Amino acid sequence: MDLLQYRIKTLFKYKDLILELVARDIKLKYRRSFLGYVWSVLNPLLIMLVLTVVFSRLLGRKIENYPVYLVCGRMLFDFMKTSTNNAMRSVIGNSSLLRKVYVPKYIFTLAKVTSSMVDTMFSLGALVIVMLVTHAKFHIYIIMTPLVIIQLYIFCCGLGFFLAQANVFFRDVQYIYSALTTAWMYLTPIIYQLDDRFPKWLQILIKGFNPMYYYVAQFRDLVYYGQIPGPRIFWGGWLIAFLTLLIGVWSFQRSKDRFVLYI
Amino acid sequence: MSKYAVEVNDVKIRFNLATQKVDNLKEYAIKLVRHELMFQEFLALQHISLKIQKGESWGFIGRNGSGKSTLLKTISGILQPSEGTVKVRGSIAPLIELGAGFDTDLTARENIFLNGLVLGHSREFMKEHFDEIVEFANISQFLDSPVKNFSSGMKARLGFAVATIVNPDILVVDEVLEVGDLRFRRKCNERMQQMLAGGTTLLYVSHNIDSVKSLCDNAVWLEEGQIKMMGPSVEVCDAYKEEQEREINERKEMIREKKRREREKYDYLIVGAGLYGAVAARELTKRGKHCLVIDKRSHIGGNVYTEDVDGIQVHKYGAHIFHTSNDRIWRYVNRFADFNHYINSPLAVYKDELYNLPFNMNTFSKLWGLKKPAEVREKIAGQIAGLGITEPKNLEEQALSLVGPDVYEKLVRGYTEKQWGRDCKDLPAFIIRRLPLRFTYDNNYFNDVYQGIPIGGYTALVENLLRNTDVLLETDFFTYRKEHPEMFDKVVYSGMIDEYFDFCYGHLEYRTVQFETERLPESDFQGNAVVNYTEREVPYTRIIEHKHFEPEAELENPKDFTIISREYSTEWKPGIEPYYPINDEKNTALYEKYRALAEKEKNVIFGGRLGRYQYYNMDEVIRSALEDVGIELNIKIRLE
Repeated sequence: MDLLQYRIKTLFKYKDLILELVARDIKLKYRRSFLGYVWSVLNPLLIMLVLTVVFSRLLGRKIENYPVYLVCGRMLFDFMKTSTNNAMRSVIGNSSLLRKVYVPKYIFTLAKVTSSMVDTMFSLGALVIVMLVTHAKFHIYIIMTPLVIIQLYIFCCGLGFFLAQANVFFRDVQYIYSALTTAWMYLTPIIYQLDDRFPKWLQILIKGFNPMYYYVAQFRDLVYYGQIPGPRIFWGGWLIAFLTLLIGVWSFQRSKDRFVLYI
Repeated sequence: MSKYAVEVNDVKIRFNLATQKVDNLKEYAIKLVRHELMFQEFLALQHISLKIQKGESWGFIGRNGSGKSTLLKTISGILQPSEGTVKVRGSIAPLIELGAGFDTDLTARENIFLNGLVLGHSREFMKEHFDEIVEFANISQFLDSPVKNFSSGMKARLGFAVATIVNPDILVVDEVLEVGDLRFRRKCNERMQQMLAGGTTLLYVSHNIDSVKSLCDNAVWLEEGQIKMMGPSVEVCDAYKEEQEREINERKEMIREKKRREREKYDYLIVGAGLYGAVAARELTKRGKHCLVIDKRSHIGGNVYTEDVDGIQVHKYGAHIFHTSNDRIWRYVNRFADFNHYINSPLAVYKDELYNLPFNMNTFSKLWGLKKPAEVREKIAGQIAGLGITEPKNLEEQALSLVGPDVYEKLVRGYTEKQWGRDCKDLPAFIIRRLPLRFTYDNNYFNDVYQGIPIGGYTALVENLLRNTDVLLETDFFTYRKEHPEMFDKVVYSGMIDEYFDFCYGHLEYRTVQFETERLPESDFQGNAVVNYTEREVPYTRIIEHKHFEPEAELENPKDFTIISREYSTEWKPGIEPYYPINDEKNTALYEKYRALAEKEKNVIFGGRLGRYQYYNMDEVIRSALEDVGIELNIKIRLE
């Protein structure tokens, strides 16, 4: 219990640092670009436009208001992808600092995931614009979306911790992960609808074992379909998030003292 | 509360070099398979115990890689000790350069905040002290430029300013202040003094011994991860400085010595790596002379050279059996090689008869069937008297008058004629002055007290003689002298004396032999090392079977092959390998003329068989070399 208390105390002590790091990431991302923060909204819009043009004929014929459908999925998946990718490099990226001064190492990982989340908040603006443009109906359930974002945030932190520590020891993790996320994307119903065209076993596989499915489905229920998510995906989402966090924290904790020898 | 700010108890830091270098799966897998993962351990620190009181200032000195920074990192909590404990009471502020670890894309203002936060300060606190920091670092006009445009001195200033806004309990400074300019360094020193006065504990790593001396009360000298010395900083620093200077001097001395050796010329250039040259080289080198031995052959040893052919020592330039009655020479050679008990007892084949040599009772009893020495003496005396030779006119008559017709016909004539390439009747009498006859049953060819062959061959013996001397093979003296005339003071010349003077009076003559060496697929060819063929019709004079020179090697490691050499006497012509000087009147007179020239060559010593135009047994040539070195250095070489 003392240990937990101590951890919370240090986290509190370094909260300003986390905030500063998040602010730095966001500041640096668009520093020296003409439109600045507007890109946070504009970028997903443009990508959505391209994808809509490419895929609406191909995959989205049966899907009503394909742009909104697409943005919902992509936004969440992008959040997961960028946050975990940045988290993966967070420890080795700060090697020169970590070699010189004692700072809890998880701070950097946490800051990376957090800054990605902030970025995602901006892209919510893009979603609103798309919904306005396509005359989509705004459901009341939209106010519950932060619940999904939090689940996903926890999940990403867990995965990020795991990747960050693994990457310290084996730099190949980056390349493996990059291939895995590509496969992961296609196994998540983002540009397509998981309907009966797919074999039964694949549907079960994706619906049961792809964590991203849980979050994308919840989010779409709230925003796109305008309904309360089913209890399986809702509670399942929380469970997966905390389970991942547990694994991530455990693996990070176990190896953090050896980091300095490898970075 | 304890009075110690830092307590380090028997700390050991162990790195595993094997896995640290591995940062990808491929190498990991390879090393895993090869079982190389856990074995390369490196102790960065061991047996480190330190107690640092509050308010003390400690300097850490030592060479690069001695563990100074590792120790500070361990105290700061960046590294966890593998064994032992570290206790720190109070807050630690490490001094880190700005830009190292920070986003150099951010401005100074942003970095000040970031750096402060990394050190554990709150944002509020940083806001309060912001102006103070900017003032101290003296960078107010650059506040909003990215840090990547800063000079390293500016970064260090900023880092120092941020680290020292509060008086931390423990300040850790690791070689970052060296970059700033003088004024800033003075400012930093003042600040540190101030902090020390205010009760801060200072841990200071620097290569600048003087700054450690002035800032710190105490110092730790680390070497190879261990504390070499600990105590008042002045003492430790002085000891360290002394050691460093000593090391630098040693290294300088080493480099100087090496350069000297490379550039400096040799005292003696010794021409010929045969026994004479090798002994001279060894004795001169032993007495501090810098010698270079050159030889135009591709091996050392000259004519005593033996070549190892699958375990058989082949006497490449003819049979060499070491024998001497000089016990000091015998002890001398035994220092460079172990000798076996080889006793030379050659045989002679005449047609299908076999005789023992030298001419002794075994020979005579085979010839005539006589048993008693007295009978043999009578027989020979009778034979000689029957010839009625009073004044031998040629070699044949000379030989006949010494041994009688039977021995002469079967064992002397053909052999001698082959050796000289003409009839005994046409050879001058003086070639054979005496033909010793032995009236005992003793086949030992030599009368010397000591006899043997170095185990492992003569080459090993010569190698030992030349152990500490530089040797250049396949180097011709005359070419070398032309190319490097400045490389030597004096010359010890054991080549052909007439060649040295460019044959100005003509060529000295030699008797020479040639060898036809053959490897035979049988374990024993003739059962003896040397068998002479005394009839003229057989073209070779003798056959040497090399393995019999080392019977002990054959016993230990029997071989199913053998190597023999047929020896042919040939007429010598300039350009052929010279063997035996011909000490007749003509050649002796010619040599005397060359010797007169040689005496005028002030810095050249002529020695050895070819340099003196004189046949030497091995013991004699060794003695001659020792004598010459003694004369040269004006000392008496005592052999014991």
